Parts: sequence; structure tokens; C-alpha cells
Amino acid sequence: MMVRTLNFYSLSLLVLQPLTFSLVGMLLSRAAGRPMPDLVYNIIGGGVMGMWSGIVFTSSWDIRGDRYTGVLELIVVSPTSLFTLNMIRSFTNVLSGFFSMVLAFLAAVFMYDLPLNEANLPAALVSLLLLLFSTWSISIFLSVFFAASRISGHFVEYLEMPVAILCGFMYPIRILPGWMKTVSSFIPIRWSLEAMNESLLGLANLPYLLGHWGLALLLSFAFIAVTFLMQKKVNDIIRVNGELSAI
Amino acid sequence: MKNVFFGKVRLYLAQAWLAYHSRFAITNPFGYFTAKFGFAFFLMIFFIFMAKYLGITDPQFIIIGNIILIPANGSMCGLTLSIGDERQWGTLSYVLGSPASRALIFLGKSFFYVLDGFLTGLVGIAIAALIFHINFSQINFRLLILSVFLLAATSTGTGFIFGSISLITRDGWTILQTFLSLLYILVGVNFPVEALPKFFQMVGYSLPLTRGLLAARMALDGAVWESVQGLLVGELLVGGLYILLGYAMFLLIERRSTRSGTLDAY
Repeated sequence: MMVRTLNFYSLSLLVLQPLTFSLVGMLLSRAAGRPMPDLVYNIIGGGVMGMWSGIVFTSSWDIRGDRYTGVLELIVVSPTSLFTLNMIRSFTNVLSGFFSMVLAFLAAVFMYDLPLNEANLPAALVSLLLLLFSTWSISIFLSVFFAASRISGHFVEYLEMPVAILCGFMYPIRILPGWMKTVSSFIPIRWSLEAMNESLLGLANLPYLLGHWGLALLLSFAFIAVTFLMQKKVNDIIRVNGELSAI
Repeated sequence: MKNVFFGKVRLYLAQAWLAYHSRFAITNPFGYFTAKFGFAFFLMIFFIFMAKYLGITDPQFIIIGNIILIPANGSMCGLTLSIGDERQWGTLSYVLGSPASRALIFLGKSFFYVLDGFLTGLVGIAIAALIFHINFSQINFRLLILSVFLLAATSTGTGFIFGSISLITRDGWTILQTFLSLLYILVGVNFPVEALPKFFQMVGYSLPLTRGLLAARMALDGAVWESVQGLLVGELLVGGLYILLGYAMFLLIERRSTRSGTLDAY
């Protein structure tokens, strides 16, 4: 994990680029006449953005690197399944991406005095764990596409921003149009992130939290189940067609 | 004399076509268009929602800024990859070993990226106008075309610089991506440069794109040549300076790697 986190690529992805998003948010805040940036959405949201970007791109480069160096064939024919390896790698990527969130949280608390007296910290912590779990479930789901073919992996990278838009990484979901809210309700990250943000703002009550946590868990397990079924199919297709490195 | 001239033109165009074709040859039209517009479009939507939440009700500034940045992004990314790929795929030694003019090889790489960026920018503006119902009734079309073309051309300077950097480090692409994300703050894409602290305003104005973006915005509002000529000339000068700097870096890296025998070793 240290190797994955402490290199220029990861530092750029997990620190510099989220910082840029936060700065855009802060400067837009200023342009809108607000004296203070929104600490939860502008600062911590930047960290969530960094974590997500980190996961999408490192997961993509993991398999792309395997393909490029000819390791993908060896993995596919080894007794340990690609699915198992992807689960472990994705977990490492999530933890490595979490570094971005930790930095953002520390910046919000120590640089901007994020008021924690009204925050529901235990609920925020549970939501955070669920956020990591739901991000991991999406991450392994996407890894199947990276394995399936070069081109599908390429398109998955474009999901970076749509997921950030739909899940409200740097603004509350309530400002989205109705149809976007409906689409986002199928993504587990949305529910865990919303629960975490509302807990940090001290606005969430127990029924609200339980509902959000339940949906985050349910959808995450659904993604894992679908991934399990899909990876078998993909594994068969790339073996039967012999197109592993060719597509 | 005539043969020498045509030989150079052929070399320039062959290099230009190879640099462009190698990037997009394996994709299909859908892949091409998503690569061009996908990320830029969704990033713009993300910024619009951020602004909406923060209380900015009119997203026009953000829409126009992000759309006009598309040609510049295309030129910068395409060129950086094109130069960096010489190392990645092991063709750098052939390029440096050939007696062909370095200037033609180097500058030739930008030709189709500038054209592509220019056309993509214009298509992007048309799409944005249709989707977001932006009022372009005041538009000075000729000045807008000139500004977008200039943006596509001047941004090649940074492409050359980051391309040269990618010859000596494996992180060239990552450095470029970090730089690109800074552009969303420094060159007046989502808010005016004047909203930045003084020091960062100076940084913004020392980069290509800042003046070109402003000129394009003014052209969309119907500005006449006299009011934007200073910005366009400034953009041309700053962009030209970056192109020269990129070329000088390439020559320096070439000389250093030939002397030390460290070509492809980074």
C-alpha cells in the first residue's frame, strides 16, 4: 500500500488534483459572495473526489499494466482467480485512496476549524466504513470491464466524473434534477456518502441513517453478486475466444 | 532547391500525420468523440452543480470556459503523448538517429492536433449552445474562430514542454494532468482571473490560454477587433514563447542524452 500511495502518480491523483477541486469550490464560494468555503462539501468532498479518482485510475492501470507486460495471461491460467486478485487489489486501492480523504478531513479540521461539536461522529464513522465498502464494491465491479477488453476499460475511465456528479461528491444530492436523483439511487456510494456528510453536519437522525446504511449495504452486495456472475462469464469468453491480450 | 523544399514539406506532413494517426488509429468514431468530449463535458456539468449549490445561478461563464478549453486540452494532451510515446515504444532512438530536421519533426507533430483541437472547439461551442440554450446573438463569429484557433495553436507550447519532460521521466503524463487541473483555477475557466489573489493572477497571465480565453469570451459577447487585439497578440506572444521553450528543452534533452548515453534509460 505504501508503494501505491507514496509515488508522484498517486500523490498527484490523491493530493494535488483533489486540492484543485477544493480550490475551485473555494473560489466559486468566494465568487458567490460566501465568506467561508463549505467545509464538508468543498474540502472533505475534494478528498472523496481524490479517493474515487484514485480508485478508477489505479484499478484501470493495474489491469492495463498486466496486459501490457503480458502478466494477464499468467494470472488467468493461475489457480488464483483474477476475481480474487482484483478484490485484493481494489481493497488496496480503496485504502490508498482513503489517504486523500484523511488529508482533506485533517485540512478541514485543523486549517478551517470544521466545527465537530454538532457532528454525530460515531454515525459519521459508520458511514465512512460503509463508504469504503461501497466504493470497494463498485471498484471490483469496474475491474471486470478492465479485464474484458482494452476498449471497455477505456470507457470505464469516463465514469469518473458521471459517478462524482450523480453521487454528489462536492454538493448535496438535493440540488440534482429528479431523474438524476433516481439514477444515483442505484449507486451505493451515494447513500453512504450522503449519510456521512449529513452526520458531519449534525443533520441526520437514526431512521435516516439506518435507511441510508441499509441501502448502501444492500446495493454494495448486489454489485458484488453481479460482479461474481460477470467475472465468470468474462473469464470464459476471454479463454474460449483466446482474445485475452488481443482485445 | 525546389526538391529540398518539397522534401521538407513532405517530412513535416508525414510526421504530422503519423503523430496524429498513431493516437487515434485503433479507435472507432464513438471512442474518438467520447475521448474528445466525454471528460470535458462531464467535468463542466460537475462544476455547474458545484456553482449551483454555492449560489451561482448563471452557469454561462463556466460553460463557455470549459468548452473553450477543449481545443487547448486536445493539443496539450495529444502532443505530450505523441512525444512521450517515442520513448515508450522505443522509437526515440530512430528519431534522434535520423538526419531529418529536428524542428520539422518536432513542430510537425502539432499540425493535426491544432486542426483537430480547433474543429473540436467549434463543435463543442455549437453543442453547448444547443444544450444550454446560450444566447449567441451578439457573437462576433470571425473573432471567435480566430480565438479558438489561436488557443489550439498556442497550447501546443505546453504540449511540447510536457512532451519533452516525458522523455526524461516516466511521470510526464501525470505532471501534465496535474498542470491541466491547475488550469481550471489559473486561466479563468470557472471564474475570472481577477477573482484570484494577486500572485496567482500573475501566474495566470504568464500562461498561454488566459488571454485567448478572455478574447473568446469577448468575441462571444460581440466584441470588435480593436478591443481584443491586445489580448490576441499577447496570447500569440506567450504561446510562441512556450513553443520555443519546448523546442529548446527537446534539443537540450537530446544533446544531454546523446552525450551521456542515457537515451530511453529513465
